Amino acid sequence: MTPSPLVLNGLVVGAMLFALGLVGILARRNLIVMFLSAELMLQGVSVSLVSWSRHHGDWGGHVLVIFVLTVAACEAALALVFVLQAFARTGRLDAAAWQSLRESVLPRVVDRELPANDAAAMEFPRLTPAGVEPEHDPDAALEREHV
Amino acid sequence: MTPDGGLSSTGSILAVAVGCAAASLWLLLPRGETGLRERAARRFGMLLGALALVLFVATGRRLGGVGEEVVFLIVALVAVIGGVATVVTRSPIYSAIWFALALAGVAGVLLVLGAQFLGVATIVVYAGAILVMFLFVLMLAQPTGMASYDRVSNEPLLSAVAGAVLLGLLTLFIGRLSAGPGECCAVPSRAAAMVGSKPPAPVAPEPPAEPAGGDPLAENHVARLGGELFGRHLLAVEAAGVLLLVALIGSIAIVSRTPPDERADAAAWRTGA
Repeated sequence: MTPSPLVLNGLVVGAMLFALGLVGILARRNLIVMFLSAELMLQGVSVSLVSWSRHHGDWGGHVLVIFVLTVAACEAALALVFVLQAFARTGRLDAAAWQSLRESVLPRVVDRELPANDAAAMEFPRLTPAGVEPEHDPDAALEREHV
Repeated sequence: MTPDGGLSSTGSILAVAVGCAAASLWLLLPRGETGLRERAARRFGMLLGALALVLFVATGRRLGGVGEEVVFLIVALVAVIGGVATVVTRSPIYSAIWFALALAGVAGVLLVLGAQFLGVATIVVYAGAILVMFLFVLMLAQPTGMASYDRVSNEPLLSAVAGAVLLGLLTLFIGRLSAGPGECCAVPSRAAAMVGSKPPAPVAPEPPAEPAGGDPLAENHVARLGGELFGRHLLAVEAAGVLLLVALIGSIAIVSRTPPDERADAAAWRTGA
């Protein structure tokens, strides 16, 4: 029985999400972003499972997705605890901070010097100065400009 | 789609789309560049990504109605674009927020596919609970936003190529599924002919294909899903409950474990020494 067009399109979307998650896991170095990519892969699998469930007219895919959700919740809880412990030891969310655990044949990751991230590259509109300069609030200077 | 000509043209379009996707991901991933070069790479990567998406949409199958097609297209694009942005955004907090958008798209795709309960559950469980937990940890651990290791990637080119090759293989096989029952059903009959001297058993009549636009699971959806879950899969539900409990206890046990010197400090602080 040939799958319906909707099922096939759903499978393609699931494959795209899975591949994107794979790229994120392989390429990114922030531990949290790596876990977000793993969750993206899980989402791709969920979409595929639901597509097949629709194709077969069967509840198996739906039930599996519910269990995927459950296991993802457990995984996120434990993974975040491990990430917090790793952060407490190294002060970084960097996967390369743990590169002493790598295979002995692999070369060491050496960070090259990055040029400073020029915040001036962000262009803000310039307003014509007008009026009297207001009183400055000393507390406002302590606020972060961005997260 | 014709068996040979149409398939090969679809295949070449897919190959171009996969190549564009790989190049776009490579351009968009953080590679430690700054200023004008980074912005140019980002623009060009977005352009190539849009081209790849257009090609993928062009090779997609037409759905029944225009409305359904447009809705599916929108939610699928939201999911995929959110996924791309999750992977390539430098700042992890923005990455998490893009992931929320991707989740909204995925929930939409699940709704279009007829999984009403799962669509809502994805929003509630993922975007409502898991993602917020991620954001909490991010705010706790890295409140200043981007760090130096967020601006570089491990092997961006090889990762992008690996992802694109996986995507190409998967879409290729998904395309084969629609090419007809030719090869997939030939194998069992040949195997049966090789094994048995008896003639192959008459094939049971296939269940009627899904009526156009109809979903056999749509009627009384959530009640029947609950019946299935707590009927046939009751044992698995109980196992999942135990798993949740163990994960809860384990995470509390791990997170409250402090290094010995800090423990001594804490004891000294408690006793007022």
